[in-house]
Amino acid sequence: MLSLIPSPTIQFKPLFPSKTIKPLKPFSSKSSIQSVLQWNRKPELAGETPRVVVITSGKGGVGKTTTTANVGLSLARLGFSVVAIDADVGLRNLDLLLGLENRVNYTVVEVLNGDCRLDQALVRDKRWSNFELLCISKPRSKLPLGFGGKALTWVVEALKSRQEGSPDFILIDCPAGIDAGFITAITPANEAVLVTTPDITSLRDADRVTGLLECDGIRDIKMVVNRVRTDMIKGEDMMSVLDIQEMLGLALLGVIPEDSEVIRSTNRGYPLVLNKPPTLAGLAFEQAAWRLVEQDSMKAVMVEEEPKRRGFFSFFGG
Amino acid sequence: MKRHTRSSFAIGLSLSTAFLVIVVRAFIVRRSRYNRPGSVEDLVRRGQLRSDRRGISRPLKYEDPFNNPLVKVGKSNSTMEMCGKVYRLAPITLTKEQQTIHQKRRSRAYQWKRPTIFLKEGDLIPPDVDPDTVRWIPANHPFATTANDIDEDLAQNNVYQKQGVPFRIRAEHEALQKKLEALQNEQKLNKLVIDSSNAKDFERAFKLNPKSEEPLDQNPFVNQSGDLRPPRPDQAPNGYDSNSSSEEMQKP
Repeated sequence: MLSLIPSPTIQFKPLFPSKTIKPLKPFSSKSSIQSVLQWNRKPELAGETPRVVVITSGKGGVGKTTTTANVGLSLARLGFSVVAIDADVGLRNLDLLLGLENRVNYTVVEVLNGDCRLDQALVRDKRWSNFELLCISKPRSKLPLGFGGKALTWVVEALKSRQEGSPDFILIDCPAGIDAGFITAITPANEAVLVTTPDITSLRDADRVTGLLECDGIRDIKMVVNRVRTDMIKGEDMMSVLDIQEMLGLALLGVIPEDSEVIRSTNRGYPLVLNKPPTLAGLAFEQAAWRLVEQDSMKAVMVEEEPKRRGFFSFFGG
Repeated sequence: MKRHTRSSFAIGLSLSTAFLVIVVRAFIVRRSRYNRPGSVEDLVRRGQLRSDRRGISRPLKYEDPFNNPLVKVGKSNSTMEMCGKVYRLAPITLTKEQQTIHQKRRSRAYQWKRPTIFLKEGDLIPPDVDPDTVRWIPANHPFATTANDIDEDLAQNNVYQKQGVPFRIRAEHEALQKKLEALQNEQKLNKLVIDSSNAKDFERAFKLNPKSEEPLDQNPFVNQSGDLRPPRPDQAPNGYDSNSSSEEMQKP
């Protein structure tokens, strides 16, 4: 949906007009304010709720957990109720990225054993109360392999029928590989977000994972290209996003530029979509979340060009 | 005259320098005030306080995340400047036909059947099972087990439970209550046993000294305190031992 960006002076027609709508002023203007209400457009939710989305990649370390955390919090900030499930049975990381590692007391394994109820295993984020985290198991605990897919399906069904209402989104953070953990994670999913990076190893694994997802019946697969270096693409040291799309043949949900803020946000336990001012990667995650809600895909990508050479007189403000 | 101008120039320079120093110091102090440690903002940042109530973290107020004031659109509307770099919009070239071609390529390349049976390496495949649906697990896999100790119906009920005490907690509580009741019953039996021995003593006392019967009749519990036996753990019925061992097996 990244079409030509209109200039800020054009009057924007609202999707849901109300009686109190007045023409908007540009963002930086400090002239007299004409509208009393700060009108805020929200994305229109498409598809049947709950939308069960698995975020997978095949190759490890490409940014699945980062994508899950940031897209999940963006969705919560847009007003949707989100449950994020960390489906990595052996190596749990989503709680670290969200800064909730000290609050995970119960997991799905304890729910299955009858040590707690499902609502007791859900960890609600205090920053955004409509975002909840659920972990499958604690490290070093064992879950019977043939049982994981069934268990996760029961969990999703139980979330749909809970008293406070079905969540709008259930995001499943898939573990790396195509092993039993992957099979467990994709079992209850209806759609998939494939995270990949612009290197050939990641693309080969992504292609394989896409084939497995399509065999298993998941047809709605969109791609997020992570860790993009536009300067390297310009210097033809890195594949461009269009090349990647040509190789994989998948619709684009988002293009996330390489950002050192990702590491800092991981250290703080504060996903970078919450940063003020927002970083480029944070904006990209936000836009990807918007497209996920509306079941849309990118129509154009940004390609870096040489900056314009300013003439001598441009120094004087020309 | 020259001295007068020089001195006034010096005075003016020193005044302007002092003013500049004051302004810079005020600016630095104002900046450092925002970074003071231990403020409520730290509590919000750590997640101890709800940020949406405090108004520090607010919902975004763009009308459109694609219409960002940080992004300056070029005159021709095909280039934009962002964070000091210039970008051009390149449209996507993927068509529906190309997508279908890729899907067909993958369906030919990757034939995959969902595994339904997990076996340890070395186990025999059951005769009526498709070998393509078997997933082999190494015996030394650190986070995997093929042993299915979980009762599926019970596990499903546990997941769907919405209120009340969880199953295992309730079962442990009931087992503990039963054990306590059993112990209390044993104590009552022990008291009855003590009575019979006291009755023998009573008989002996009766034989030896007829006058000592009355104090024993009136206070039958006096002798019991010295004869109380501590409850033996091995006297618990076998049912409770099997319950506790099965609960230990279910622990991860």
